[in-house]
Amino acid sequence: MATVLDSVTYPHGLDPSDDLRRGNTARLRWRTGFDRWIGYLLPLLFLVALVPIADLVWYIGKTALPTLTFTVISSQNSFQSYNALGVPLISTFYILGLATVIAVAFGLFGGIATAEFLSESAAGWVRMSANLLAGMPSVIVGYFGYFAFVLYFGWGYAIIAGAFTLGFFMTPYIFRTADLAFSSIPRPIREAAYGSGARPVQYILRVGAPIAFPQILTGVFLAMAIGLGETAPIILTVATNVAVPTNLSQGATYLTYLIWTGFQFGPHSVELTLAFEAAFLIVVVVIALNIVVRVIAARFRRRLEGLYQ
Amino acid sequence: MTANAIPEGSGEAPVVQVRSLTVQAKAKKAPKKILDNVGMDFAPRSLTAVIGASGCGKTTFVRTLNRMVELTPGLTVSGQVLYLGQDIYSRSINPVLVRRRIGMVFQRPTVFPMSVFENAAFGLRLLHESDNEIDSAVQEALTRSGLWDEVKDDLDRSAFSLSGGQQQRLCIARALAVRPKVLLMDEPTSALDPMATQRVEATMRRLKEEIVLILVTHNVGQAARVSDRVAFLHQGRLVETGPTAEILERPREELTQQFVTGRFT
Amino acid sequence: MSTTPAAGGEADRREPLPPLDSPPDAARRPRRGWKGWVGVIVPFIPALVPAAIVISVAVTLVNASGLHNFGWGFFLPGSSANPYGVAVEIVGSFLTAVPALFLSMILGLGIAIASVVYLPTFITRVLDPFVDLLAGIPSVVYGLWAFIVIAPIFGTVINPWAVEHLSFVPGFARSIIPPSPTTAGTGLPLAIIVLTLMALPITTLLIRDALRSIPKDLWESGLALGATRWEVMRRVGLRTGSRGIVSAAFLGFGRAIGETVAVAMVIGVDARFPVNVYDVTSTMAAFMFENLDSAESHPALLQNLAELALVLLAITLVVNLVGRRLVSHIYAGEVAGI
Repeated sequence: MATVLDSVTYPHGLDPSDDLRRGNTARLRWRTGFDRWIGYLLPLLFLVALVPIADLVWYIGKTALPTLTFTVISSQNSFQSYNALGVPLISTFYILGLATVIAVAFGLFGGIATAEFLSESAAGWVRMSANLLAGMPSVIVGYFGYFAFVLYFGWGYAIIAGAFTLGFFMTPYIFRTADLAFSSIPRPIREAAYGSGARPVQYILRVGAPIAFPQILTGVFLAMAIGLGETAPIILTVATNVAVPTNLSQGATYLTYLIWTGFQFGPHSVELTLAFEAAFLIVVVVIALNIVVRVIAARFRRRLEGLYQ
Repeated sequence: MTANAIPEGSGEAPVVQVRSLTVQAKAKKAPKKILDNVGMDFAPRSLTAVIGASGCGKTTFVRTLNRMVELTPGLTVSGQVLYLGQDIYSRSINPVLVRRRIGMVFQRPTVFPMSVFENAAFGLRLLHESDNEIDSAVQEALTRSGLWDEVKDDLDRSAFSLSGGQQQRLCIARALAVRPKVLLMDEPTSALDPMATQRVEATMRRLKEEIVLILVTHNVGQAARVSDRVAFLHQGRLVETGPTAEILERPREELTQQFVTGRFT
Repeated sequence: MSTTPAAGGEADRREPLPPLDSPPDAARRPRRGWKGWVGVIVPFIPALVPAAIVISVAVTLVNASGLHNFGWGFFLPGSSANPYGVAVEIVGSFLTAVPALFLSMILGLGIAIASVVYLPTFITRVLDPFVDLLAGIPSVVYGLWAFIVIAPIFGTVINPWAVEHLSFVPGFARSIIPPSPTTAGTGLPLAIIVLTLMALPITTLLIRDALRSIPKDLWESGLALGATRWEVMRRVGLRTGSRGIVSAAFLGFGRAIGETVAVAMVIGVDARFPVNVYDVTSTMAAFMFENLDSAESHPALLQNLAELALVLLAITLVVNLVGRRLVSHIYAGEVAGI
């Protein structure tokens, strides 16, 4: 009637030699078996995440590709007609481009300034505000853009309003990456630069920038991927004018807007077709950007490890 | 090296026997041998110190004794490790049970984020013992580890409130609570200050009267203070093993001599 | 200039050096001048941009909402264009976000544990980025897919099945208002599913990071005591990583409650209290998004919307603040854009 807690030494010497077999009680077998089976079941949960995204990409691709002919995108017609992608593509290009410039302007300098000039406690506050900004719902930023730029500044529904709104939305992502990039420059390099008498601007431009460039580039790509897919900040600040915009104070359209307006139309309508095509283009670009970001991040990590030696 | 069996006439069979143990790592060009044909016996109620330079394989060696070596990917184990005559690597043996019989204490104190009591009771709770059993077993373990008097007034306080040496003794108590026959200790005092080290060494001296202790240490002085036998490893090979006094003062091998005299503290 | 030694007069005009042991006084220190101050202050300014934007957002909304003259009465019916008052939207937000958070935490825990404990490295290296990719898919695209592909499944398969077999459960019985063909299948459950998918990458990433950062020694100590991997993870791992796990909950909730467009596309067109599981409703973000253009000509509605925006902003700020504070490295989840 040996209990599981055997005595420390048996009075007459050692344990019986098949202790390891006898000790494998039913309870132990159950515990071990449970662990094994959980190890088979839990990985299946990955499917819950992967199947929807696979289905999403496949369905959108399958619906959009047949209609996504060259004529739809690029023919002369597509720039005048309301039923093609030419105009939205150009508008998207303009708005996103402007927004990226704004986001880079604010985010890059802000991030570098935080990494280089701020004390740790001040930097903590600033970083927290960047995180808060990143966490704000897109509709809130859209409202801000509407009240501030469209109404109070009086710009009306204009590309410039949309670009600023989207730009502010994209800023924290570039800010964070710039901050991280400069903060993780190895100390010896930084101290060597300042120790040889470099001024901050010189250090940033000549030492920091080359090292941090890949990482900052990933931040820009990430921000662009996010900006490409946003709807609320655009719709609330830029009107739905379908013509090719000629100056910044006009309204314009956007790829995501096509999806938002088109999704409720019937199966073979122009609107729904355009919606799917727009969705396809967005998904392709976003996935491509994400892959590029990861590749750069991985190679950058390897380079940084080299720097530490 | 062939196994150094326990001297004839001691009358007790060894608890753990290692036979032709070889551990290989898959490397790019040729597999690298981390342990090469090691063989030894461990007698009951003894403390064997495994010494050697860094990288000689002593940590890998003890990790093969409780099948923890399986956690490192890319290693192949061949040979036999017999516990009470049974090969612990045989397919019919549950590694979880092996680890209950052959416990381990690590270099850094690794207390769990729980109370002192819960730490010590961790292994017992897995066995679904009754509360009474657990209470008495916890007390017994803490006493054997030499920590009982210091914590008995407040067993529910967080384990992090203990000092480093106390935490390490808590880890020892935690391992002892499931009544292992063998306790592996991988440089348990290297992260502790001298006072705490002394206390842990005192615990080791007490415990070796009860169970089998296998101690990895880079500190030859510690080996001299607490161990009965010493095994010297060099680049994965067992160079020499024997009673402590012999190895440290009159070693037979040149390598042993060099190591021992260079590191005597 | 003569090179002869200075006459006494010139020597007197040279300023005498201070005695060696006297402290330098302010008059003798070179003054900075306004250019110097600019050089000191200017570098700091860009760092303030995010904070400035956050503050501007809050101020703008407060201003627009006229909170000072409107008061808190907007919760109740009658004072806004929505005859039910904005209580519907607030309730709707929680009705969708809370179950979505619950589901995404469970899934996230399972996936993270599978990834950290059970799956070999060469598999997790491939699968983990796929889950993170979920975070990159834009909200509209989720909405499009959910509306076109999933809603019909609900409308034609799941809902009728549930009505037939589950009508004894309160809330699952047939609705009084028959759903129109275009909106069949939309509503609460679809919104919850979409939100779960959108919060999943956040929870998974943060929990995975928390579990990965458990020290190897600690993990092995647990195993060395004769515990199985599941037991060590359950009893030690989850406790050690609890900060990261709670932070995952907060940030996942922030994402779920702030999600705008996807929810707007699947939650149905009418903003009313749902009478049962199949009914449509609205959330704060969706309502705000859909009604801004019609509010242009109704100043009262505009103010209401701005107030609603303030409520949503307050919730997300608090949730994000708490969630981020819990994580030690302040930029958790940076690569995935979370």
